[in-house]
Amino acid sequence: MRCYVLDVQLSDQNIEAYALGCAVLGAGGGGDTPVGLAMARLAIAESGPVPVLPPDGLGPDTLVMPCGLIGSPTIAHERIWSGQEGRQLADAVAALHDRPVDTVMCYEIAGANGLLPVSWAALLGLPLLDADGMGRAFPEMQQQAMHVAGVPAGPLVLTDGRGNDIVLHTANNTDAERLARGCTAALGGVCAGALYVMTGPVARSAVIPGSVSRALQVGTAMQRCRDGWPSALAELTGGRVLAEGRIVELERSSGAGFTRGHAVVDSGTTDTRRLRLELQNEVLLALEDGEVVATVPDVIAVLALEDGRPIGTERLEYGRRVGVVAIPTPDVWWTPAGLDVVGPRLFGYDLAPVPGSARPVATGAGRDS
Amino acid sequence: MTPERSGATGLRMGIDVGSTNTDTVLVDADGSVTARAKVPAVADLAECIDTAVSSLLVRGTVDPAAVCAISLGTDRSQDSVDAGADLRRVAVLRIGAPLSGAIPPMATWPAGLRSMVDAGTAIVAGGCELDGTRIAPLDERAVARFADAVAGRADAVAVTAVFSPVDPADELRAARILADRLGPVTVSASHEIGSMGLLERENATVLNAALSGGVEHTASALRAVVRRHGMDAECFLTQRDGTLRALGHATRFPILAIGSGPANSMRGGAHGSGLADAVVVDVGGSRTTVGRLVDGFPDESTSPYTIGGVVTNLRLPDLVVLPLGGGSLRDARCNGGPLATLTDAAVADGRTTAGGVGVPESDRAGLARRLARYDQLLAEAVDRIGLGAHGLPVLVVGGGGGIAPDRLPGIGRVVRPPHGEVANAVGAAVAPVGGTAERICGGRPDLLRRAVEELSAEAVDHAVQAGAWPERVRVAGVEEIPLSYLRDPAVRVRVRAVGPPLVPPRMPGPPSGRPGVPSRSPARSPR
Repeated sequence: MRCYVLDVQLSDQNIEAYALGCAVLGAGGGGDTPVGLAMARLAIAESGPVPVLPPDGLGPDTLVMPCGLIGSPTIAHERIWSGQEGRQLADAVAALHDRPVDTVMCYEIAGANGLLPVSWAALLGLPLLDADGMGRAFPEMQQQAMHVAGVPAGPLVLTDGRGNDIVLHTANNTDAERLARGCTAALGGVCAGALYVMTGPVARSAVIPGSVSRALQVGTAMQRCRDGWPSALAELTGGRVLAEGRIVELERSSGAGFTRGHAVVDSGTTDTRRLRLELQNEVLLALEDGEVVATVPDVIAVLALEDGRPIGTERLEYGRRVGVVAIPTPDVWWTPAGLDVVGPRLFGYDLAPVPGSARPVATGAGRDS
Repeated sequence: MTPERSGATGLRMGIDVGSTNTDTVLVDADGSVTARAKVPAVADLAECIDTAVSSLLVRGTVDPAAVCAISLGTDRSQDSVDAGADLRRVAVLRIGAPLSGAIPPMATWPAGLRSMVDAGTAIVAGGCELDGTRIAPLDERAVARFADAVAGRADAVAVTAVFSPVDPADELRAARILADRLGPVTVSASHEIGSMGLLERENATVLNAALSGGVEHTASALRAVVRRHGMDAECFLTQRDGTLRALGHATRFPILAIGSGPANSMRGGAHGSGLADAVVVDVGGSRTTVGRLVDGFPDESTSPYTIGGVVTNLRLPDLVVLPLGGGSLRDARCNGGPLATLTDAAVADGRTTAGGVGVPESDRAGLARRLARYDQLLAEAVDRIGLGAHGLPVLVVGGGGGIAPDRLPGIGRVVRPPHGEVANAVGAAVAPVGGTAERICGGRPDLLRRAVEELSAEAVDHAVQAGAWPERVRVAGVEEIPLSYLRDPAVRVRVRAVGPPLVPPRMPGPPSGRPGVPSRSPARSPR
């Protein structure tokens, strides 16, 4: 019999706060939360609360299954899940590893990807690991702490929820990303995937610990706030408020799976500070009067000033009042190996990464060579 | 001004039933307002309509027989959902198994509203993928079994298939099976109601079905008033896209009328001013609504619309609503009343004249501050809705329009159109009849071209079904919106067709040089 440390559980009492936290940490990435939230709620109502297990609590012979949505969130809004995806992934993973899955994990804490694994864990009767692979949203599957730690993404399992599973044995994690995208298109444009499956001891040193409790903490605090969300968020996460003001310029184009463009936020009451945000699905850079003040891998979150809700890049609107907050990301992303997969250069910006707030860890190591 | 208005050779009547007042106007064939009335609204809709029409016709200067078209605008459907009143019990069929079971129909509804509406749900096999590949063949026997199971319990049915905006075939087939087995119940199919996003589209479709009873009451109330006053007029309901649909057609799509109030105000303001692109500021007693007209139609919001706690993907006019208006004139200081209103502030500022008492000196400093704050909020709202397009004119309408300033920062000019106080009724009276058609298709140029052709024909057909004059329907707009976050491009194509209302022939007949008025189509019921 296994013994869990039942510090936290996700239940109908706190799932909404958790979902808000996932949206905030995702800064609008990872897909909208309502579908994932509805699924998590229904699964919890059917199967009970989901225990959240700290990585330290993983036993030596346990198998951890990171999982989530792969493909287009837009299609996922129409092609609603069958509900069997978690079971199908777990069965296929168990067959590949010749033992059952013990713990479910979010590969990405952001948006819907923070919630789908909760619904699958509930229906499987398994705990959820208090961890994820990104600590925020990133677009590609090799942008994971497990990749930096040398864990192979494959063999990975993809399922379309109506009986079609694909197992990919891959040469390396970059190929895994490329092949999984191709398979996703064949599975209807969106699918459920399990990747970086690992044992407990490997997970303990490879994952980003504490992501689930962090999302819950952020969401709970933001729910309690009545105003002043940007400063509350900055205080809570050790981040910094970059601007509060109106969007006075917005240019955005969609296509080929990406939203690109820029927005300008004018603080414009006492001074004329203008913050320019560069968008590629997520906000990747913030510049103040031409000077870079924050870059990926830190999260640059845009919140509506009227209610504190995060606004994804697709939902930004001219004239809206917003707050922009730089939220520090886990230290792994500021190591040279981390910046090799998630630094500004990976997104086509030829500049050194700039943390959005003072970091206790020396960031000099993080500058690209 | 607009070509639409000349469709009627007689008089067109517009009625707008608001929460405070019912406004009515008559517009002649040249588009001029020839009569207007404003009466207090009451709870009973039929009474509102009757009182308004009576007050307009009582003066004896109008021959009821000269009225050829009557358009009614009302947001009672919204009230009905909010209050949970007058809703039909709906059987909800979803087509898409084995997909979509993770969130069953109505699982996200508030329990109270669901218990009033839910008459049984099922998910049956069928539907397709984004590229049109079948998920499974439609399980026709399961559809029939569902029909038998809900027979006698359901007053209406809502049918939603996965990716029906790509291919509506399964919804159409299932709707036929349901209609055959259930007889005269209303069947709403989701591809006629909403776009991508299964749950939101399904929710909108269920609400549409639930509202089908209330809208029939509205329709019969309107018909009764028309008969009682000796009019032989074609009757229309206003829609939120700023168009009309004939009663027989509009009663199938009650949800499309939600949000028609602001649309009517915008069109009415545009009519009097000759502008088709403008920001419209509608100042009422307790709030100010700011919207945008683009090419004569209300600009739509991209945000999901939540009604009665149910999230839908209906696209309402994009509005900024300020919780500030002119206030109640009866209670205002300038009328000797107890309340210092923004109208008093505007009177003290010299912007407008109202009441006969004047504003006490002691109130003036506070009022000036409130008015300055209002101007600032209004300027910001206008800038946001106008997307910072400097030089765009601003139309001020509504009963409280006097409090709006004549100059706003960054604004070309402020226009106060004639009859702006009853712009919503004017908008209802002059709106064209409209039809839309929408589909999602692959982004390849040849596929797109074919889709636009087919949808144009469909939209024209819908406009004619909605009561437009067949010879004079035209395609008014083609929208192509790429779907985001897709590997292979797909585009949502929407075509809108409009035309003047087809109305009973009048003496002395149509103006020369135009084709004769065609005979009225015997049946307005859709295919």
